[in-house]
Amino acid sequence: MTSQITTPRPRQDASRTPPSRKRQGKWWLPKPLLALPAWAWLLIFFVAPVGQVLWFSFGYKPGIFGTHANDVLSFDRYAEALSPTFFLTFQNTLWVGIAGTLICLIIAFPVAYWMALKAPLSRRGLLIALVMVPYWANFLVRTIGWQVILAPEGWLSHLLQGLGLTNEPLEILYTRTAVLIGVVYNYLPLMILPLFVAFDRVELPLREASKDLGANRWSTLTQVTIPLAKPGIIVGCLLVFIPLMGDYITATVLGGARGNMIGQLVASQFQTAQNWALGSAMAVLLMLIILLTVAVAALIVWVASRPFAWRRRLVIGEDS
Amino acid sequence: MTSTAPSPTVPDRVDEPLGTVVLDGVSKWFGDQLAVDSLDLRVEPGEFLSLLGPSGCGKTTTLRMLAGFEHPDEGGIRISGNSVLGLPPYRRDVNTVFQAFALFPHLSVAENVGYGLVQKRVAKSEIRDRVVEALDLVQMRRFADRKPTMLSGGQQQRVALARAIINRPSVLLLDEPLGALDRQLREEMQVELKLLQSRLGMTFVFVTHDQEEALSMSDRVAVMREGRLEQLADAHTVYGEPASAYVAGFIGRQNFFEGTADAVGALVTAHGTVRGREAVPTGTTAKAAIRPEDVTVEAAASGPSGGEENAVHGRLAGVSHLGDTLQYLVELGDGFTLLCRRPRPGAPALEPGDAVRASWHASSVLLFHT
Ligand SMILES: Nc1ncnc2c1ncn2[C@@H]1O[C@H](COP(=O)(O)OP(=O)(O)OP(=O)(O)O)[C@@H](O)[C@H]1O
Ligand SMILES: [Mg+2]
Repeated sequence: MTSQITTPRPRQDASRTPPSRKRQGKWWLPKPLLALPAWAWLLIFFVAPVGQVLWFSFGYKPGIFGTHANDVLSFDRYAEALSPTFFLTFQNTLWVGIAGTLICLIIAFPVAYWMALKAPLSRRGLLIALVMVPYWANFLVRTIGWQVILAPEGWLSHLLQGLGLTNEPLEILYTRTAVLIGVVYNYLPLMILPLFVAFDRVELPLREASKDLGANRWSTLTQVTIPLAKPGIIVGCLLVFIPLMGDYITATVLGGARGNMIGQLVASQFQTAQNWALGSAMAVLLMLIILLTVAVAALIVWVASRPFAWRRRLVIGEDS
Repeated sequence: MTSTAPSPTVPDRVDEPLGTVVLDGVSKWFGDQLAVDSLDLRVEPGEFLSLLGPSGCGKTTTLRMLAGFEHPDEGGIRISGNSVLGLPPYRRDVNTVFQAFALFPHLSVAENVGYGLVQKRVAKSEIRDRVVEALDLVQMRRFADRKPTMLSGGQQQRVALARAIINRPSVLLLDEPLGALDRQLREEMQVELKLLQSRLGMTFVFVTHDQEEALSMSDRVAVMREGRLEQLADAHTVYGEPASAYVAGFIGRQNFFEGTADAVGALVTAHGTVRGREAVPTGTTAKAAIRPEDVTVEAAASGPSGGEENAVHGRLAGVSHLGDTLQYLVELGDGFTLLCRRPRPGAPALEPGDAVRASWHASSVLLFHT
């Protein structure tokens, strides 16, 4: 028998470098080009119209028959837009936007939680369908439905009087409350669905591990379920808040003069007054307000959660 | 589905030492399926007990009842002498290492490990010290500030282990904790886990469907079948003296012969006469089991001679290398194949196709009534 000693091969050759990225894939297209359809979509349906609105907002209404002109540029339309009526309507819109989003969140949270984590698996399809059912009807028709229900002579009013809960006919149609009811009803599914998906993705073993380690239901909810569902909660709030702020159908049908929203002001400038320049300025202001509100809300949530985050944080660092 | 109240025969408190686990006639139904069937089991403090059985035999369900995620329909469960019926998981002095690890993706390794202490409202400086200690124990200190998604399977496994022992539970439950690891890592972790257990002195209830793993690590093995306990004994007994043909077949490989006992108590089978240590009552049917390592093969000098006991003749169908042993497949006709394993040094040099004789000692024959 020959004794043979095998010399180990050098484990790493210093001259070797990672293969160049170009040769790795079979794509000869630069990767960003793959996003071309998305870029095109964004450009055509977002950047271009917003740019146009922005452009119009610096112009003026040239005469009784013209809608816009841009030969003289100024910020005058903004000064014009920031009228007392605008501020009043703005306050109203913000109130409805924030209250509506919060109410949607408060209602959707337990519903989505139950649907995703407690309801029998076999019923899920049915539950999601039920959430979506109102969407089968036209937005306007649904909203007019509430007009019928909330009318002083409507069945809700009669029912409440019949039950003796109130003596007078219901007086909430054409108020902010009616608008609030309308928007919560209209936007609730947009909150429930992302929350449902978010909760659904918090796997059962994770919640079980939490309880196993001594966390009760509440601690598991706040320390595992909600942190993991956070992206979905944020998406839900944005999905409700942003279109709600610009909504003018609900406010027109249910709000009347007392439940005015900025969306209505913008629409009336474009449609009734035919002043596209002023309407555009208002639309730009609305967008800025939405961005600002979202930023402020994010800041508030961030600041409020800092103490908790600091308390939870545990950094060990390198060996000492 | 029946959901009976805690059975009145089970007292709330029994004088048993810390770390004792007692299952007392525990049954669990899922719909009309009986997942665990009147299971009686007693795990001693500091013991390493494995629940072993094929898929679907109720191992996980048993473990989940100990952890508090499922509640028994019948019977009682005591941990350290206290009845845990109706007690939620977060109030039980047990912790679990989950099969898929179930590490919290939003927390770092250190925060995962410290989770249990945060729940107990332990002071932050103490949490830090104990987390470092637990991470050192599983050699994961270096990865303390990483997110678990950035770890390999074996590393995640260690973190899950550290997280489960940090509360110093009196009982640790492990549900196939090594199932996701490759073979080599698995064998390493088996050794580490066993060392850790003896160092901590904790009671381990370990679920596996891998018999080698169960035999190599456990003080005692509980072999389960369709929700029932088939045998509860140490590895040596389970291997050497299986309580049933089922256990014999499940633990290691077996050659089974079925037949009827003759006048002297030997089993007459289709392939020859098998005689064990004890006589089988004449006329009854029985199953004989012989382990492959107890069978010797040799080139057949002559054809089968009538009346020979504990020996069969056949043709060698194949030889395979199992590392330190060689495995011979001997075809006996009718598609019956006999397995034989011999240690590599001194293993007979035979070629497939050779006529061979396989034989064994009566002392290595296990007999089971059918
Ligand atoms: N939540 C459940 N609902 C309905 N049936 C279940 C449930 N959990 C388990 N079962 C059934 O109970 C039986 C025992 O399941 P269990 O999970 O305890 O098996 P196991 O021994 O852990 O198997 P494996 O080795 O595959 O993990 C199986 O037949 C299974 O189908
Ligand atoms: Mg299992």
